[in-house]
Amino acid sequence: MTTGATQPPASMPPPRTEAGALGWAKHNLFSNWFNTILTIIFGIAIAIALWFSLKWALADADWTVIVRLGGRFIIGQYNTEAACPGQNCFWRPQASLLMITTLMGMTWAVMGGGVTRQIALAAGVGAAAFALLPYSMDTMGIDVRLLLAANLPALAVGWALGRYTPLGTVRNISFLGVAVFLLTLVLLRGLPGVSFLPPVRVIYWGGLMLNLILAVGGIAVSLPIGIALALGRRSNLPVVKTLCVIFIEVFRGVPLITLLFMSQTLVPLAFPEDFPQNSLFRAGVVITLFSAAYMAENIRGGLQALHPGQEEAARALGLAGWQTTMLISLPQAIRNVIPAIVGQFIGLFKDTSLVYIIGMLDIVEIGRAFILGNVEYRASARELFIFVAVVFWIFTYGMSYVSRRIEDHLGVGRR
Amino acid sequence: MNTNGNANGSAGVGAVEDIIICRGVNKWFGSFQALKDVSTTVKRGEKVVIVGPSGSGKSTFIRTINRLEEHQSGDIIVDGIELTEDVRNIDAIRSEVGMVFQQFNLFPHLSVKDNITLAPIKVRHWPREQAEQVAGELLERVGIYDQADKYPAELSGGQQQRVAIARALAMQPRIMLFDEPTSALDPEMINEVLDVMRELANSGMTMLIVTHEIGFAREVADRIIMFDEGRIVEENTANDFFDNPKSERTKLFLSQIL
Repeated sequence: MTTGATQPPASMPPPRTEAGALGWAKHNLFSNWFNTILTIIFGIAIAIALWFSLKWALADADWTVIVRLGGRFIIGQYNTEAACPGQNCFWRPQASLLMITTLMGMTWAVMGGGVTRQIALAAGVGAAAFALLPYSMDTMGIDVRLLLAANLPALAVGWALGRYTPLGTVRNISFLGVAVFLLTLVLLRGLPGVSFLPPVRVIYWGGLMLNLILAVGGIAVSLPIGIALALGRRSNLPVVKTLCVIFIEVFRGVPLITLLFMSQTLVPLAFPEDFPQNSLFRAGVVITLFSAAYMAENIRGGLQALHPGQEEAARALGLAGWQTTMLISLPQAIRNVIPAIVGQFIGLFKDTSLVYIIGMLDIVEIGRAFILGNVEYRASARELFIFVAVVFWIFTYGMSYVSRRIEDHLGVGRR
Repeated sequence: MNTNGNANGSAGVGAVEDIIICRGVNKWFGSFQALKDVSTTVKRGEKVVIVGPSGSGKSTFIRTINRLEEHQSGDIIVDGIELTEDVRNIDAIRSEVGMVFQQFNLFPHLSVKDNITLAPIKVRHWPREQAEQVAGELLERVGIYDQADKYPAELSGGQQQRVAIARALAMQPRIMLFDEPTSALDPEMINEVLDVMRELANSGMTMLIVTHEIGFAREVADRIIMFDEGRIVEENTANDFFDNPKSERTKLFLSQIL
């Protein structure tokens, strides 16, 4: 390093007002008299709102309704005498939760930390923490608590499987994900003739479990259908194009509630008479197709935005049409519309609540039904619905957080 | 003059001197005729520069050679394969013909290395190691070996265009088409791309180049073709084209650009 006169001056540290909390506050809150007044007014308003909310939440509100409903929020009436006569079926949803945490552990090991680790740990620790809830042992037995606590070791086992066995590849985990979902359905539904798996009718499935099953199934199936519809709508074949347009416009044009009502009479027409069906299946089909119609338009938007030179370059290299679509167009299109796709996923998750319309007790409806049926809790409606809203928010915020991390990872908007 | 026009799919059969043969090619965009009765032949190893005012059909012409644009009448025969509706012929020709675009058209979601190895792996079915080795050699050749793991958006325009050339060369084409390869570049980056093209020309590659770089054209071209309003108005050796142009249209064009 030279010390001649030509050496450029080193940059100096910023003045105190430009850096740190003080600098930030001066820039953003007190930059002129108008901003200062606004800051003070909003500061007071926020303080008052916070004071009254906290006072209500901590002192005035009666949260016993949440305690009283407890596991009903999670699994609905699944573990009632009516659903599972003569047996205790609590272990079936729990076994599927264990499979899911194991899978999350594997994903964490394969994806190597980052957002997958955060999600896996949140799920595993969260589930295990339920084991410590201060219920009496009569309400929440030791067996229930042990199965919940087992989620932590399950996470570790999954991590080890992902790390040290040949199962730990992205491809295997995708297959296992589908397998776990189907296994969960079988486990919850039960198998006739198997003594420890007596069938449980889907009308008893409920709570958050129901919302999640519909959302996960709907998301996993509506994305590929949406992609197929988007490609079909851009097809050169008039028949394919027309069919896709009709499908999209019909499913987008009818309210989901109407579709859900209609599903109970129309979906059976689309399947053979002896095809096993139930109201959950019918609702799932309709929610999935409804979401796929929106998904198709999101993805089509992404495809329209691509520069035509991308496709030309791929074709000029000798890639076949389907290779160009799968390797060049779709990856870029989907990447560019991740925010819209995740928005659609979040919408789908919230819309699963609408299955109350066909008599299924999701997490919202189970609370509402409880309050309607128990006059002494009628005053607790506020607490109950705030609790349900927070549960929804945790999941939707999780989805939006994951999507932002994926966007960062893929460098969306930068390259 | 040539009889291998109906070799139909058998690449290289009777491959003689003439690697590209165009006879009476016409092309319309709707009611606008972009190419009018274009006939020319390109010999193996020849460097042909195509010039002309904008909208004269020069880009359209080289885009018909690998069927990015469809011609409606006339024959185009590339290395013994006639361009027809037959998809197999089109794919066969496309893997013989490399193309470099004005806007680079690199795939932004793939790294530089993956941009180059994609087609050899997916179209030629090379094993990944072989494709990566070839990609490494090509990046070395175009002088950006150290950028292999970056993404296109992280490179300068000149570097991107050199990656695009490497990507086209990875398919080991017999013909390279350049569609105004330096028009989108900042002035100080033009030469790094032209240097790569000069080196490629010296290696004996057959090249068709649409460009406004007159100095480069004079230096590299065996022949210059002048387009105007969809027609070839002059075909001449580089020296004669610039020093004694035959057509009035060429004289006017040269007076405007030189």
